[in-house]
Amino acid sequence: MAGELASPTPALRGSARRTAALRLLRRRLIQAVPLMLGVVVINFCLIQMAPGSFLELMTAENQVSDPATVALLRKTYGLEDPVWMQLLKYIWALLHFDFGFSYRQNMPVIQAIWIHLPATILLMVSSITLAVSVGVAAGVVASMKVRTFWDSLVSVGAMFFYAAPSFWLGIMLIVLFSVKLGWLPVGGMMKIGGSGGALDILHHLILPTLALGLFYAAIYTRVMRSSMLEVAQADFVRTARAKGLSRNKVTIHHVLRNALLPVVTILGVQMGTVLAGSVVIESVFSWPGVGSLLFDSVSSRNYPVVLGIMVLGSLVVIAANIAVDLIYMWLDPRIEIR
Amino acid sequence: MTIKVSRRVFGAGIVATGLVGTSGTSFAQGTPRRGGTLVATWGGGEPQACYVPAGGGSSPTFSSSKLFERLALRRMDGKFEGVLAESWKPSADFKSYTVKIRRGVKFHDGKDMTVDDVVYSVTDIWKKYAVASALTDFAGIEAPDADTVVFKYNNPTPEFFFASTLCSPVAYIVPKHVYAGSDPVTNPANNAPIATGPWKFKEWVRGSHFEYVKNENYWKKDEPYLDRLIIRYVRDPAGRAAAMEAGDIHIGVFNPVAPPDIKRLTATGKFVATPKGYEEAVWSTTLECNMRNPVFAKREVRQAIFNAVNRDFIAKTVYYGYARPGTSPIYSPNKEFFTADTFKTPFDPKKAAALLDAAGFPKKADGKRFTLNLLSAGWFQENGKVGAYVKQALEDVGIGINLTVPDRPSSIKRIYTDYDFDLAISNQANPSEPVPSTTQYFTTDGILKGVPFRNASGYSNPDVDKLVASIKVETDPAKRKALVFEFQKIITQEAPLLPLVELESITLASTKVQNHSNDPNFLAASWGDLWLAS
Repeated sequence: MAGELASPTPALRGSARRTAALRLLRRRLIQAVPLMLGVVVINFCLIQMAPGSFLELMTAENQVSDPATVALLRKTYGLEDPVWMQLLKYIWALLHFDFGFSYRQNMPVIQAIWIHLPATILLMVSSITLAVSVGVAAGVVASMKVRTFWDSLVSVGAMFFYAAPSFWLGIMLIVLFSVKLGWLPVGGMMKIGGSGGALDILHHLILPTLALGLFYAAIYTRVMRSSMLEVAQADFVRTARAKGLSRNKVTIHHVLRNALLPVVTILGVQMGTVLAGSVVIESVFSWPGVGSLLFDSVSSRNYPVVLGIMVLGSLVVIAANIAVDLIYMWLDPRIEIR
Repeated sequence: MTIKVSRRVFGAGIVATGLVGTSGTSFAQGTPRRGGTLVATWGGGEPQACYVPAGGGSSPTFSSSKLFERLALRRMDGKFEGVLAESWKPSADFKSYTVKIRRGVKFHDGKDMTVDDVVYSVTDIWKKYAVASALTDFAGIEAPDADTVVFKYNNPTPEFFFASTLCSPVAYIVPKHVYAGSDPVTNPANNAPIATGPWKFKEWVRGSHFEYVKNENYWKKDEPYLDRLIIRYVRDPAGRAAAMEAGDIHIGVFNPVAPPDIKRLTATGKFVATPKGYEEAVWSTTLECNMRNPVFAKREVRQAIFNAVNRDFIAKTVYYGYARPGTSPIYSPNKEFFTADTFKTPFDPKKAAALLDAAGFPKKADGKRFTLNLLSAGWFQENGKVGAYVKQALEDVGIGINLTVPDRPSSIKRIYTDYDFDLAISNQANPSEPVPSTTQYFTTDGILKGVPFRNASGYSNPDVDKLVASIKVETDPAKRKALVFEFQKIITQEAPLLPLVELESITLASTKVQNHSNDPNFLAASWGDLWLAS
């Protein structure tokens, strides 16, 4: 929900900017309520439409054949209520920060997610950091060396990482850096039985970050390159040059700052897809994150956990887009987001 | 029996010859070396809990069997051996068994294991969850003294049946002081078990691994040889192969990697692969007819279905040689009860067509005799491929097929709850004792709507019910064997459900790992006797 941009207006300054930012924050938070409600209702209904239920799978795995036991389980998990009643109960529970109970993990959903959440957040943050830094830097280099060998190299590299499936890239990285060179661990988040210190985790984080982040870096590279070239033709850049500013100063202070806007837009939109991408990468690297939990929960029809992850994922996307709107205002003070 | 793993490892090609060189190896050389950490994995995912009282499938069986112990186990040579039981003997009428319990066994929390724990485990865990279907005749258990328990049955109970019950993979002795007064299914100890086995639970890093440490007070004074056992979960077979190649994982059971990787890794000389260790859990891919469809009323139609399918082709093509044609509901590795002297339904499309013609189903103008819905259970990747082949084979004899391959929960619901199929491709894993694990697919009391891996075909035959009832109470081993042979003859002729192929499961291990694959259900063995060569 990155905002619609009003026509450039004279730059807001000082307290006026803060007021505008708070107004924007308030508006976005109000808008988030119906949005979250929509996410919950749609996901709940989609899950209800899927064939097979977690109760059937649970009774199957536990070989429960006694009808009385099945009836008791149906009551325990609230499945004897009509679907609309289950939905209302779920929304009411959510309002009280109760995400339900996961029979499979035998613990509250929020606890099951909480166990896996730090690993996923770490992977997402590191991947996005890598993607943005590498993507922006490569895009800037390509735009400054346009139609040279460096431009071609960056373009080919971006094309390669964009086209390479992340699971394949992950396996290739494992084969090269873990199996052949023995430099990095094959998988996991820390050395088993080790202290789990920051360096150990960092050591394990490198390959999954590369596998997940390079795809997005490729996108940012292409967007950044074209955005830089476009902004470089703008009147204010020509004016800056006419004022006698150095090339680097023009590039960094005028072109780069304005060229970042499309990257920031994509970044907000892609928070959800990075989370989705982590499902695959976490599988390849045995990374104990929410992606693995989601995969298991879908295949075991563990609906409370699936819904919980979707709700939290939606919250992350909404929060990211609010942050994007605020960054917009910071990057270009002329912009007032409606 | 529940199924919760993917056999995607069979997805790409290797021929069986890749394993021949290791099939006779004992995997144990020299004096056991003490110490070290063994890292293991398996061809499936992480369990829902470390221990699931009702079994819960192969994954929790793998994780819990290193911690918990059973009263007895079956050895590779087919003989039974006491674990927490020292001995057992039947009464003269075979209606009770007196079991001497091992003394001096302690739980991991230091408390003594007593007959009270055995009585509690049998009455509150076995009878209600773990082996309920094998205890239908169970009348109770008593502890006349501190060393003895007496199992009582309503009817004569064969020795092989009784011993097999004691050996059931999840017939564990659990600590009464931990479970009594709680719901065993939701007891928090299921995620950090306290048991009597050679390994003590240390940690479960969800999504990653279990860490077990040596039980210093284990009743077998020499075991375990290793200091630590790690069970790692790597979802992707290629990731498992890489981890094994990098030396991060020493052993993988139940098809841990893809067949080409088995060949590649064994070719390095650093790994061995073996089909040994699965004799008490032989898997099969089965085809069953829904008897509720009037088309299957005549058994000739059912026989024709099996005559139309080339099982040898399935074994060689779909499973790349890691399978053999199935001929009987009792599988060929079963030395006690398998017989080759059964009714045969060999691949013979002409005979199939003739049987269908004779049964009153000639080809119509559109070339079809009738159309069936074929459901291939989607829990194993290969089932879809088998389904695609069976569709072609049956269409060749004029049977129209609508094939669907639903995912695991949908397959369970459609086959075992809704009976929403005409033909179903499914899977079984059966031990040597045929009652009830094999027979419940054919007896009337096995028709339990909503209970998976039972009689979903709806086949009901009073003669079979009577025969199985006789097998259940026949205490003379020779007579019992003859009855099971008779059972196989009837079922292969009636053909409501038959195995298409018997599957070969593979263990891949580093050559450093010693003493592996030495149990007929190695996945569910304690692994206290494994060690690492220097």
